[in-house]
Amino acid sequence: MEYFSLKRSSALDQGQTNLSSKVYVRSTKSGKVQKIVRELYLRRDIPCSSSLCRACLEIAPTDYSKKVAPFVLSDTPAGSKNFPNGQYLVPDTNAFLTGMDLFEVETAFHDVVVLQTVLEEVKNQSLPLYHRLIALTKNEGKRFYVFFNEFRQETYVIRNAGETINDRNDRAVRKAVLWYNHHLSEAVAARSKKQQRIPSVVMITDDRDNLQKAKSDGIPALSLSEFVSGLENADELLDMISAAQERREVRSSKAEVFYPEYFTMSKMMTGVKAGTLHQGIFNVSPYNYLEGSIHVPAFDKSLLILGRENSNRAVSGDVVVVEVLPKDQWKAPSTKIIEEETLNKNDNPEVEDGEDVISERERRALQEEVKRVHGQSAEGRPQPTARVVGIIKRNWRQYVGHIDRDSVRSTSKSSRQQQMVFLVPMDKRIPKIRIRTRQAGELLGQRVLATIDSWERDSRYPVGHFVRSLGELESKGAETEALLLEWDVQYRPFPKIVLDCLPPEGHEWKVPASLDDPGWRGRKDLRDLLVCSIDPPGCVDIDDALHARKLPNGNFEVGVHIADVSHFVKPNNAMDKEASQRGTTVYLVDKRIDMLPMLLGTDLCSLKPYVERYAFTVLWEITTNADIVSVDFTKSVIRSREAFSYEQAQIRIDDESQQDGLTNGMRTLMMLSKKLRQKRYDAGALNLASPEVKVQTESETSDPVDVQTKRLLDTNSLVEEFMLLANISVAGKNYEAFPQTALLRRHGAPPKTNFEELGNQLKVKKGLEIRTDSSKALADSLDTCVDHKEPFFNTLVRIMATRCMMSAEYFCAGSQAYPEFRHYGLASEIYTHFTSPIRRYADLEAHRQLAAAIDYEPLDPSLHSKAKLEGICKNINMRHRNAQMAGRASIEYYVGQALKGKDIKEEGFIMKIFSNGFVVFVPRFGVESLIRLRDLATPEPEAEFDAENYVLKVKGDINRSVELFEKVTVRITDEIEESTGKRKVKLTLV
Amino acid sequence: MPLDTSIYPLALLRLDGRRWNELRRIHAQVSVQAAADGSSYLEMGNTRVICVVLGPAEGKDKGQRGAREGEAKVGVEIAVAGFSGMERRRRVGNKRTSEMQHCLSTAFSSLLFTHLYPHSTISISIHILSQDGSLLAACLNAATLALIDAGIPMSDYLTACTVASSASSSSSDTATSDPLLDLNGLEEQELPFLTIGAVGEKVSVLMLETRVRMERVEGMLAVGVEGCKRVRAILDGVVRTYEKKFG
Ligand SMILES: [Zn+2]
Repeated sequence: MEYFSLKRSSALDQGQTNLSSKVYVRSTKSGKVQKIVRELYLRRDIPCSSSLCRACLEIAPTDYSKKVAPFVLSDTPAGSKNFPNGQYLVPDTNAFLTGMDLFEVETAFHDVVVLQTVLEEVKNQSLPLYHRLIALTKNEGKRFYVFFNEFRQETYVIRNAGETINDRNDRAVRKAVLWYNHHLSEAVAARSKKQQRIPSVVMITDDRDNLQKAKSDGIPALSLSEFVSGLENADELLDMISAAQERREVRSSKAEVFYPEYFTMSKMMTGVKAGTLHQGIFNVSPYNYLEGSIHVPAFDKSLLILGRENSNRAVSGDVVVVEVLPKDQWKAPSTKIIEEETLNKNDNPEVEDGEDVISERERRALQEEVKRVHGQSAEGRPQPTARVVGIIKRNWRQYVGHIDRDSVRSTSKSSRQQQMVFLVPMDKRIPKIRIRTRQAGELLGQRVLATIDSWERDSRYPVGHFVRSLGELESKGAETEALLLEWDVQYRPFPKIVLDCLPPEGHEWKVPASLDDPGWRGRKDLRDLLVCSIDPPGCVDIDDALHARKLPNGNFEVGVHIADVSHFVKPNNAMDKEASQRGTTVYLVDKRIDMLPMLLGTDLCSLKPYVERYAFTVLWEITTNADIVSVDFTKSVIRSREAFSYEQAQIRIDDESQQDGLTNGMRTLMMLSKKLRQKRYDAGALNLASPEVKVQTESETSDPVDVQTKRLLDTNSLVEEFMLLANISVAGKNYEAFPQTALLRRHGAPPKTNFEELGNQLKVKKGLEIRTDSSKALADSLDTCVDHKEPFFNTLVRIMATRCMMSAEYFCAGSQAYPEFRHYGLASEIYTHFTSPIRRYADLEAHRQLAAAIDYEPLDPSLHSKAKLEGICKNINMRHRNAQMAGRASIEYYVGQALKGKDIKEEGFIMKIFSNGFVVFVPRFGVESLIRLRDLATPEPEAEFDAENYVLKVKGDINRSVELFEKVTVRITDEIEESTGKRKVKLTLV
Repeated sequence: MPLDTSIYPLALLRLDGRRWNELRRIHAQVSVQAAADGSSYLEMGNTRVICVVLGPAEGKDKGQRGAREGEAKVGVEIAVAGFSGMERRRRVGNKRTSEMQHCLSTAFSSLLFTHLYPHSTISISIHILSQDGSLLAACLNAATLALIDAGIPMSDYLTACTVASSASSSSSDTATSDPLLDLNGLEEQELPFLTIGAVGEKVSVLMLETRVRMERVEGMLAVGVEGCKRVRAILDGVVRTYEKKFG
């Protein structure tokens, strides 16, 4: 009998690849240390992926479908001064950590080998950078190849006794580089005896020790900056190397610290669990950069975080842990505008010796605030305050801004001296960023993209680095790109892989003539119906069309026909993925960034007049009283008779002489829509105004010539009413079919506290009452908020009320209880988006669900997965919000440009009052702007602020008081806002 | 954070350096316990199990549950060593153990010529020494070896392995959805997979361990059956070597 032992059999079975094992030691949650042994199969068939190498082609692996991945690295890589025969780069981990922006530059850094050792370390250090690196490996043009050196027998290294993991990994990198060089020279020799041009494989590292060792082993190696210096646009590229690392070395000698140390992760977690600490997202007030707030579950009202020391290096958007301060330090939210620019104008980015974290001026501003709060208590009820004790997750992104002129030492364009300058982000909630650059002179007056690298305790401001310049400040191109970047709008052209998903016929695509064609399967032929579309003038992506006709029984048949986008965009292909990422089409004043390629959006899907199109149709039978008798859903083919603008449709309806079927159909729709609208209002739907401004541009140059508020016609509400009805009907159907996964849209009831301030303002100033127990009560009480002398007052209240509302959101049916589905603003139990699939991804998903609900086609598995849908909802909610913000920012830019050089007097209304300024809203242009006391006169006049009565009495020569809701006349000019570099409307009191 | 299974498409390599269609190292021995009627020790990668077979022995109680009239009952017991798990939380739970016991018992009841041994019991007991994925497959393979060692007649080897679908269901990119053979513990945690047991070309055990997309199953089955065949060849080699030495 063979002796049997439990000890691992060490003899390798025959025929196996070389086997090694990797031992990890890790600590478990319970604090014990565990040793994990993992197998490692070492092999010799991992290709070098150089197009020069034939040997590797033979051993290259095939996948399940027997395909071999194409080789990545070029056979004629770019060369440089040191390596005229061309080079493949092998960066080490730190090179990627400090220079990721560099590696992403399109014009440099091609043919890069990413070692497995490095990839793993990058992932360990920074997940966002890891994802960017992975994205680079998928970018064909960049030719980044991941070489799994730890699995290849020749490049695998075993950690020596006493060797640190870092040293072992550095050695692994050197060994891989050495192997690559050797391997390539063999490969080239095998190709032809004569060929001399062998590319060098160059290690890129900033580690001095590693460089030294490489050089003594004869391995080509350079530091990142050495390598970049040899490139053409070296100056620009050198600025992109993260400043963080360099600084760390310089700084370590200085001991001065400005900020308290963060708690350890475990201390924070324990604290949060025990309820002594709180976790949430840090938000900074757009009016006061020193006031942050954080909403945590334990408190109804947000916790205030006041001043730099308390916010302790948190940047707006970060996930932080806070500690609540003792009660005697609680205070009311600020009534004062505090802008970073005005207080710390003269901070020097280079010198930080001897300054406190809070500048003297900041301290004074804060103290005044505290005094104010302790002096009175009736209105300014103190709110709990807190301080940041640690950061769970940084949410730093790239920031657009401009270089602060005053921070530049030498503005000479020819100067190549490196200096530290401030970048002032457009987003006022983000602090200035210190940036080291050699091109300060050139960057002045430009829109600049930069990132934050670090914020150490010993630095008053975060430190970052330059990414790229977008162009001249105020130029259309730069400002547009800036706002797209700021709102994270994906604006690059659709990649080829997406365009490949389009129908091969292109613009020639037609609805098949033969009814036997599979395209007609399950479709109703509705080509005989008198369908038309009504949209804003110049609309090319027509999502919806309508028709109405009288039925023999006296009722009406009404149809809403929606572009059948889901016919063209199949789940999970590249086009679908791109659309789901983009989430929505973004409308700027002069530009549209499409969710779907043009061919679909403006042609094949668009319900253009006079041509046959696929549609998804909702058909109702409706009584003359606008009661719904029945509803039916079907895929269809329609032929729109006309595409009207709102105005054209209105004219046609009003013209009694037009008695054709199409016009009469529109009249029926108009009649029914008015009744439907009344019903909605009776049920408590809100009519909330938000000022919509239209910028008229000259068509050729798209230079703005005038600004108008949008006029609403009856035809606007006609379309809106039927779209709402279709959305509600589809929501019900989808929910019935998919109670767990229907994609719906809800609008939560606003918490009472949201209306506290507005309610109090109305009570104090106008003796009016606002009731919020239900949307009906709110709608009714808003109707009573009228000032007979001032017709605009009601609209003003509605605008302010809108800002107290929650925002509507997409959600997945299974994630909420039915009562929570309610759409507060529309007073509907259930709602979804169905009517704009060309420009909203949510609608496309609703189409797919509806198609499955009516058994037109099976549902894609991805729409069965609640987890996946929740992910989609999260993304489209964010995209939706960003698209709105980008649209607003675009209008703001054009309004600024339209008013450039003008000087107009207009009437405005006071919307908000601070102790040192007030906000005026100008209905004519839909703009609101801050007027500070210091704008009224120099020196800044004294003022007395009566917070309880919302009155600000300005003393001195001005000697007048302003109060909330007051109608004032303002002078409108334009100016460049110092803090953001944006051209903005400037208001002055007349 | 170590790399995860999402790296597979980068170079068609798995977390331990294997290709999609490669088994881990399999090491096995039979007759490792002299006192038993049949026994085996089997390693699939770092998953290690011992199997002991007792019987067929005359059953004491008459109305044995789960056994048909005139056939032997196949009883299975699985015990997990305290030190076997990767992490305490991940250790095989009671539910999972009884699921596996049931699976083995059903599979071998129909494979073994149980009608030759009426009123008797064949008891298979398995000790799990360490777990690193494909546990059920390892148990099935070890039991097959031990049953052969005990000399209980069966039509053919029952061999098993696991197959995963390399793309997780959330990123359903058909281009990168190679089926992966023989999962280790890490892969099992991240990928949808199934355990397949085959007798010759015939699938006799199929356990969907997680939700797997329908259109993937076919490819996974094909790879799984092929994997089982290769396991069979290895186990057969083990048995024959033993016969040569001691037979
Ligand atoms: Zn090669």
